[in-house]
Amino acid sequence: MTEDAAPAPWPYRALLGLQDLSAEEIRTILHTARSFAEVSGRSVKKVPALRGKVVANLFFEDSTRTRLSFTLAAQRLSADVIDLTASTSSVNKGESIDDTALNIEAMGVDCLVVRHRAGGAAALVARVVDCAVVNAGDGRHEHPTQGLLDIYTLIEAQMARLPAGPSPARQRLDRFDLTGVRVAIVGDIVSSRVARSNIAGLTKLGAEVLCIGPTTLAPRSLESLGCKVVHDFDAVLSEVDAVNMLRIQFERHGEAGKAAGPPGSKPEPARAEAAASPAFPSIREYVQSYALTPQRAARLRPGAIVMHPGPMNRGIEIADEVADGPRSLIFRQVTNGLAVRMAALYLCTGVAEREEAARLAASRN
Amino acid sequence: MSTLLIANGRLIDPASDHDEIADVAIADGIVAAVGSGLDRGHADRIIDAEGCIVTPGLIDPHVHLREPGGEEAETIATGTRAAVAGGFTTVCCMPNTNPAIDDDAMIEFIDKQTERTGSCRVFAVGAATKGRKGIELAEIMLMARAGAVGFSDDGDCIESAGLMLRALTYIKQTGRAFMQHCQEPSLTRGASMHAGTVSIRLGLTGWPRIAEEVIIERDVRLNMAVGCAYHVQHLSSAGSVEIVRRARRDKQPISAEASPHHLLLTHEEVARHDGYWTAAKMNPPLREQSDIKAMLEGIADGTISVLATDHAPHTPERKALDFEAAPFGIVGLETALPLYIKALVEPGVIGWPRLVAMMTIEPARLCGLDRRGFGRLRVGDPGDVTVIDPDVDWKIRAADFAGLSKNTPFDGWAVKGRAFATVVGGEVKHGEMEPLGTAKSATRSRAVPTLRR
Repeated sequence: MTEDAAPAPWPYRALLGLQDLSAEEIRTILHTARSFAEVSGRSVKKVPALRGKVVANLFFEDSTRTRLSFTLAAQRLSADVIDLTASTSSVNKGESIDDTALNIEAMGVDCLVVRHRAGGAAALVARVVDCAVVNAGDGRHEHPTQGLLDIYTLIEAQMARLPAGPSPARQRLDRFDLTGVRVAIVGDIVSSRVARSNIAGLTKLGAEVLCIGPTTLAPRSLESLGCKVVHDFDAVLSEVDAVNMLRIQFERHGEAGKAAGPPGSKPEPARAEAAASPAFPSIREYVQSYALTPQRAARLRPGAIVMHPGPMNRGIEIADEVADGPRSLIFRQVTNGLAVRMAALYLCTGVAEREEAARLAASRN
Repeated sequence: MSTLLIANGRLIDPASDHDEIADVAIADGIVAAVGSGLDRGHADRIIDAEGCIVTPGLIDPHVHLREPGGEEAETIATGTRAAVAGGFTTVCCMPNTNPAIDDDAMIEFIDKQTERTGSCRVFAVGAATKGRKGIELAEIMLMARAGAVGFSDDGDCIESAGLMLRALTYIKQTGRAFMQHCQEPSLTRGASMHAGTVSIRLGLTGWPRIAEEVIIERDVRLNMAVGCAYHVQHLSSAGSVEIVRRARRDKQPISAEASPHHLLLTHEEVARHDGYWTAAKMNPPLREQSDIKAMLEGIADGTISVLATDHAPHTPERKALDFEAAPFGIVGLETALPLYIKALVEPGVIGWPRLVAMMTIEPARLCGLDRRGFGRLRVGDPGDVTVIDPDVDWKIRAADFAGLSKNTPFDGWAVKGRAFATVVGGEVKHGEMEPLGTAKSATRSRAVPTLRR
């Protein structure tokens, strides 16, 4: 990618979601990520941008990859990193998220990376602390850095397809403008924070988004978010530039889904009576309609890419052959995630630092 | 013999078809005379109600006083102080306490505790099923004899159609009403707000209108052959208005109540204040403008006949939890009157007499209290009176509430009208110790009426 004009300044100390950002603000993060991407290619993979700062991973919900990615991103910015995991079993109703956050902030932390099972948790933290906050996933609401890295990867792939030399298409992509690009998000849309961040980010940047899944996982009501809902995957396979495959999140299908588990599994005895049907009758039926099989992948447009936010259920939503195939940018997403998270940490911490300086100055006067 | 004279107010007593300037005299807790120019010389105390509206004491048929078991959020003492501050002289408390109010001893406990600590009258609504578990009938007959004014598993819906039919059949012989919390559980598991554009955006499980409507529809059918008095609590959806309207047209013994928040707020509130605003989390949830419109029509045409609050106190600690973990509900006793004025009288949906009826004689009839003279002001009736200053402009300030909990989405709202004095059994329970319109919040629109000894 090439350098372009300086982006709009970034005004927030918290990155909570893409739904509340303007297209220009989203472009600012992507632009910053592009300048950090280059660091990953060096032999010494560090810049001093956050030297002397402390980034704390505050994860109330299990995650390995996202936490690792944030840790590496912070380390590449020369920040110190601490990890705090509230084990899932202790995440009971009644626990106070804000107390935990305030405690950690009081130890001199500059940026909190928050993941929680509840929507709005990162916002709740941001309300009580003064330091920077980056949402690493809140319930089924948003996972903004995942949305951004998916978009970054898509733009990178689109640019790679263009013939060399300047063209209006290259100019557009260079400005992170996705006009004319059509993206399919397939699977458990309703439970997915990744889908919500993707829909918000992609549509703001001009892309068209198709949400694909059975009516129970991709209800028509999603269209209020600005996407189109389609139930027939095969009908649109040849019309999209990218396919983003989501995992079925049985654990988020409410009490009924939780009790019932994946189709075919044994319901918890205590809940068996209350357990309603899961959102679809069987994995077999789901796979036949919505899995990205080699046969479906073969019908994609030339140049169309395949993404997956992970963790993959190989053999359910995506076949091995596709996940490891030539269209797959799944591991490129992971690489780009570092640059995007570096950008998020860097921008938010910078604003928090300026706000803190302003407070100090005001208290001296 | 101590006498109180409430003089020169506009007396609105819908049950007696009164709407005129008149005096009300109360002697020994009982209405002694109603008319113009009553003898001032013999009164021990006089409330000058000129410019005010004088009504039978307001009755709220749906409150949660949290005692026993939830005293950190509210008690009978604090809840009834909130009631009289808001102009209510009678409240009916729901049985979702811990333990539940599900036998005659619990009804007596509420009575005793009210006698000891209450500022207004409290009547208990008994649980329809043991422990509110929805499995077997509670001791309904014994509770009715002990003074339960209705039956409800409020907070939970009776899920089983078979049990529901049995409950309606059994409750019918007591002459009391069954009050349903209409929420089909299998349609609302894990739900925390209205199913709509906001829940989709925030990724919260939606509580759809149909979960309320299918229960009302089912119960109306079940009740056809039974004919028990059936009451829809906190109605929230346009479709429910339609079902109740039809059933009333068919002469079914069905009534329905509204709550202020469902007439003034929509699900968009949840997205305010940085989103996931727990002050806007209630059950049933805030819905949409189209539902508000239908409910206002239902109030105008009499489909919805009762105004309640669903006063639901919660501690700040519990409301500070994340949205899905935080409890449902808001307090309402101290804001209901001005909010109903704002929602119904100011836009001309109904006039003052109908508003007063919906807050007095209608809830009295629902709870069988009309037979004891509540909700009405005739000679010999209980001396419960609310004096309303309809013109005072003031700002709602949760911090000033008399109740223990302050969880309200209406903090800071500019409203008009409030209870100037609340008289329970001839005693001035509100408006005496603390002259209204002073310090805290009210800005006086005119001279404060005098209270003379």
